[in-house]
Amino acid sequence: MALDKKHIGKKYGPFTYEAGREKMREFAYAVGGSVPSMSFSGVGPPDGLHPWLHDLEAAKASPFGTIIGLPTFAVVFALAPFGQAVMDPELGIDLSKLVHGEQEFEFYAPVKPGDVMTTTGVITDIFTKAGKDFLEVKSESKNQRHELVVTGTWTAVIRLK
Amino acid sequence: MTKTFAIGDTFTLVRTCDRYRPIYYAAASGDFNPIHIDPEAGQSAGLGGNILQGLCTLSWAVDAWIAYLGDPSKVSKVRVRFSRPVAVDDVVTFTGKVVSLENGIIAAEISATNQRGDDVLKGARVEGRL
Repeated sequence: MALDKKHIGKKYGPFTYEAGREKMREFAYAVGGSVPSMSFSGVGPPDGLHPWLHDLEAAKASPFGTIIGLPTFAVVFALAPFGQAVMDPELGIDLSKLVHGEQEFEFYAPVKPGDVMTTTGVITDIFTKAGKDFLEVKSESKNQRHELVVTGTWTAVIRLK
Repeated sequence: MTKTFAIGDTFTLVRTCDRYRPIYYAAASGDFNPIHIDPEAGQSAGLGGNILQGLCTLSWAVDAWIAYLGDPSKVSKVRVRFSRPVAVDDVVTFTGKVVSLENGIIAAEISATNQRGDDVLKGARVEGRL
């Protein structure tokens, strides 16, 4: 059964998330090819990881005075509306037929440790094409200073058979 | 020394999806979908095994862009279509090319192919603020 267009405009959130320094560093380690552990693994940072993302001393001397998150660390908090939408019982999506089809982010300000993100989202499009449903959710995340940090456009593709 | 940027510049990054990468990325991102961390769940979903989270592949493309820009805070935009799953042991080569540079915004197109030459991303484009 195709997804009903009546859900376009449905809102999710707000969701709040406090960015923690070690979580941000672990994310950069995992993406960069190391083990996401600050102490247990003893492996250390991956080769080539930008020092502002993990090296506390280097970050202190950076324009930000502290480490910053990888831009894509945003997925950790900005995914919430999309995650809720695909699991929304009112939409009734069969998750075993869902794949993440497309993704877009616009980054406006870096995430710093202790920043409190507030994310809201809305279903912006639902359509059927080539035997598949497409669900598009847009998210917007602001920090505690009400600065826009990141917007996301999340597209799920759901096989109808 | 200030880095210079020009249309036509290219950059490359190679990343391997080692056996534990989907699990490490799950721990860091919170995406513990069984198709990513459990080979049997991936098998029964018809994927031949567990696959890497698409957003990790997207992050790798952004990493390639950061390495070129030299500053993670300059990344302003990324857009990708996930065209093929990245499986355990796949080696993904990201090749970027700067396509525009105007009004302080630099943009590049990135191809991402596995060791068989198949695209794992399509239409990947990144932008940065200079």
